[in-house]
Amino acid sequence: MVDLDEDARRRRASAWRRCSFLVGLVAFLFGLELTPWAQRWFVEPWTTALAQISTSLVTLFDSGVTATGKVIASTSSGFAVSIEAGCNGVEATIVLIAAMIAFPAPWKHKLMGLAAGIVAVQGLNILRVISLFYLGQWDYKVFEWAHLYVWQALIMLDVLVVWLIWVRTLPGARDDRAPPSPPAAATASA
Amino acid sequence: MNLSSPTGTARSPLARFIVTVLLWLPVTFAVWYVVAPVLMFAVRILGMLAVLPLGDLVSVIEQKGSALVFVTTLRAGQSAQAGGLVSVSVNGLLYSFGMPMFAALTLAAREPRRWVILALGVVALLPFVTFGVVADFLKNVAITSGPLVASQTGFSAAQREMIAFAYQFGTLILPTVTPAIVWVVTHRAFLERMRGLTVPR
Repeated sequence: MVDLDEDARRRRASAWRRCSFLVGLVAFLFGLELTPWAQRWFVEPWTTALAQISTSLVTLFDSGVTATGKVIASTSSGFAVSIEAGCNGVEATIVLIAAMIAFPAPWKHKLMGLAAGIVAVQGLNILRVISLFYLGQWDYKVFEWAHLYVWQALIMLDVLVVWLIWVRTLPGARDDRAPPSPPAAATASA
Repeated sequence: MNLSSPTGTARSPLARFIVTVLLWLPVTFAVWYVVAPVLMFAVRILGMLAVLPLGDLVSVIEQKGSALVFVTTLRAGQSAQAGGLVSVSVNGLLYSFGMPMFAALTLAAREPRRWVILALGVVALLPFVTFGVVADFLKNVAITSGPLVASQTGFSAAQREMIAFAYQFGTLILPTVTPAIVWVVTHRAFLERMRGLTVPR
């Protein structure tokens, strides 16, 4: 019982250390993102590329859409969206990177997880940009709600889900045919 | 994981969890929107404490629904007589939209005492919402309001840089990251059980 308590304390301390490291890493990477150098050489080109990719996908079914820099515009309605900070998926990617680095795992798994995870996060972000582009033309109030609240939460949920899937693929995760841990044991080891 | 197959969904606890979260989200967003004025009342109290170190910069924080209005002692005009006092309205919803996500995750996890965890989690998130709201207010008076108002605040260039960073961090990172972290911290047992079950092949 004493050993179990000691083990639980150690695990709790380790979890808090990891959380603190995660928060510090997110703040550091976010600070790095805000530097003029990162904005010029990474964020701006990426945001422009995101507008181009989204427009390329949209033109498969709607030819009246153009992209100029980070702005996507409809030639028929005149409506346009500009992809700004917070909507380019960079912050979500930073959180994913920090979460995978902060979690103890072999570097090979971290790199594989990051590659797949970034594709998943940015893929959903493209869906966000395209959906907002059409929501804005349909109803501005709905666009505002989706833009400011709903999609922000969904993107972070995507990051969390990607991280959960990645954690489940790490060495040490049990086979799915094995029975789940008894809740009491799991609680004791938390 | 096979989301398209009913059998696959039933087999994979992670897929089932994700679907449940998505089903809870519309409900939690609706509840959050309705109770936001109550949450903002708590944020207003915390905000009044947070601006205490700023001296007499803020005379009062008023609440209008989900918006908090910071009434300052700053003059909008050049002379002491010119212009009224500067007020800054901040939309509290912009900084608290992570709460419905936290609620959906907590309710979908179906852990014992989930309503207690939900209540404690929301309380734990309030200071971070306050941080975003206050940083938004400071960004307005110290940076975007123009030199006439900004000069009265007495912030140095370094302090303005810090305010700009705090605003960006409080807007782009904290509203989404803190609910996720609070959820992970409060659901370690759930996550360990989830990790113990790999995706069905």
